[in-house]
Amino acid sequence: MKLRSRLLLNVFLLLSVLAVLMPFIWMLTVSFSPSADPFKRVALLIPTSFSLEGYKQVLEQAPIARWFMNSVLLTSVLTGGQLILGVLAAYAFARYQFRGREALFFFVLCTMMVPPQAIMLPVYLVVNSFDWVNSYKGVIIPHIASAYAIFVLRQFFMAIPRELEEASRVDGCHSVQTLYHIYLRASGPALFGVGLIQFVNNWNDYYWPFLILSDEMKMTLPVAIVHFRNDSYIEWVPTMAAATLSVLPVIGIYTLAQRYFTESSLQSGIK
Amino acid sequence: MRRIPWQPYLYLSPVLVLYAIFFVFPLFFSLYISFMEWDLLLDKKQFVGLSNYQEVLSNPLFWKVIRNTLLYMALTVPPSAALGLVYALAIERAGKLRSMYRVLFFVPVVISVSVAGLVFSLMFSPQKGLFNEWLGLFGIGEQAWLQDTKLAMFALAIVGVWMSFGYNVVLYISGLKQLNNEVKEAAAIDGASGWQSFRHMTFPLLMPVHMFVWTITLLHSLQIFATVHIMTLGGPNNSTNVWAFFIWQEAFQFFNTGTASAAATILFVIVLGLTVIQVRWMQKRTQWV
Repeated sequence: MKLRSRLLLNVFLLLSVLAVLMPFIWMLTVSFSPSADPFKRVALLIPTSFSLEGYKQVLEQAPIARWFMNSVLLTSVLTGGQLILGVLAAYAFARYQFRGREALFFFVLCTMMVPPQAIMLPVYLVVNSFDWVNSYKGVIIPHIASAYAIFVLRQFFMAIPRELEEASRVDGCHSVQTLYHIYLRASGPALFGVGLIQFVNNWNDYYWPFLILSDEMKMTLPVAIVHFRNDSYIEWVPTMAAATLSVLPVIGIYTLAQRYFTESSLQSGIK
Repeated sequence: MRRIPWQPYLYLSPVLVLYAIFFVFPLFFSLYISFMEWDLLLDKKQFVGLSNYQEVLSNPLFWKVIRNTLLYMALTVPPSAALGLVYALAIERAGKLRSMYRVLFFVPVVISVSVAGLVFSLMFSPQKGLFNEWLGLFGIGEQAWLQDTKLAMFALAIVGVWMSFGYNVVLYISGLKQLNNEVKEAAAIDGASGWQSFRHMTFPLLMPVHMFVWTITLLHSLQIFATVHIMTLGGPNNSTNVWAFFIWQEAFQFFNTGTASAAATILFVIVLGLTVIQVRWMQKRTQWV
């Protein structure tokens, strides 16, 4: 391609990237502006004054550290559980011949496709009957079986040469030992990638934690910042400060490991 | 004679038990509730046959909700898929900065929907928002966006496209990577121009990717709930009330468990058709791997 057209293409792409990132720039700009009528000054994305008032307000008025810890705890347990159950199920699907395998795998894929809202009321009633409403159990347990994790891990396990497994069997490893020595060791990066993606998805999850957690002190960050906006009668500067704080972990993970996201996201569909 | 292995059933059992309790049972439970008049507070149940379905189908709001959902899908899916393809093609040719673009376009995908909803609420805000400031530069007056029955759905669609198209960019890039060399060679032999080789080779060869992108985006846009809940609460005048939001409202605001379940069952049946096609296709793809 000619140099000039490549240059034009890059200008176009850079402008597009700027447009895509605009909401974040705007969020940062507003969050760092003084509370009293900030908008006229920064509307065109040019911050003319700088203030930490918004952040101070959030930290004083809202238990944001608590929300953050709630999110960390809930997301970690959920992601860990999804990985453990996912590994076991994927191992069964990838390496065993058994009656009903195809049907069960088809069923697992189906669970991924049904809109959660189509069953939100009955699932809520089930959770309620266990007395898990407004508890972390109610958020975690219904979602701990992850079709996505099963699907992706199965793909990775299937790519591991069978000879390795047979060798380990000859060496006298039983089934669980083989899973550990052969499959888990060989698929470390894959597990890590799935774990990261699930962590971010679980961290961002809105609709289910919103439905289950009504106690302000139990809320996760995404639910809590919306609650905070409504509670503060839409004071935008602290709301944007809270939003900024809530995306920091995700941005951090994404910056460090973006390769896993833009590559592993493909595993769910196209190989 | 081979013994039937018991291990796979053991390994699958936790997952299957959980799916039984939190997926299969709710599906049937929902069907059951949809035939009942059930007062949750008094815990009184009565079989009422199809009357919940009658009630839903004769409710003008339900039809409005369906129209809104279809409108939202029409406003988000084609732009999201098209932008995905266009930017994938552009990024492929961009040279050194290629991977940087891919990473940055993907950022909205990893951001939580509640942050996106809040930031866009502010951007669409009538007096303070960024969009109105920009329109002002072109001499266009302030729009009410989320308070305007004509514009609110459009505003939600902008957010929907913004959140989803980066994923499609990545899908298309990987699709293009797989067929690029073959296409280039074949096109070079034929002496085809850039547009011709795109029109007759690249585009049709990407058919599996198109299928995947369209079904995934379609299913996601059908499920839209959070942005509606955060930005408009279905308003103004129910102009952004979509299917998932309607079910939530019926169930958790108005406590009409029966009609909520009837609406959910109708949704489920429609999605099931779409799902079976999609999953069959995915299975076919994965068997090749």
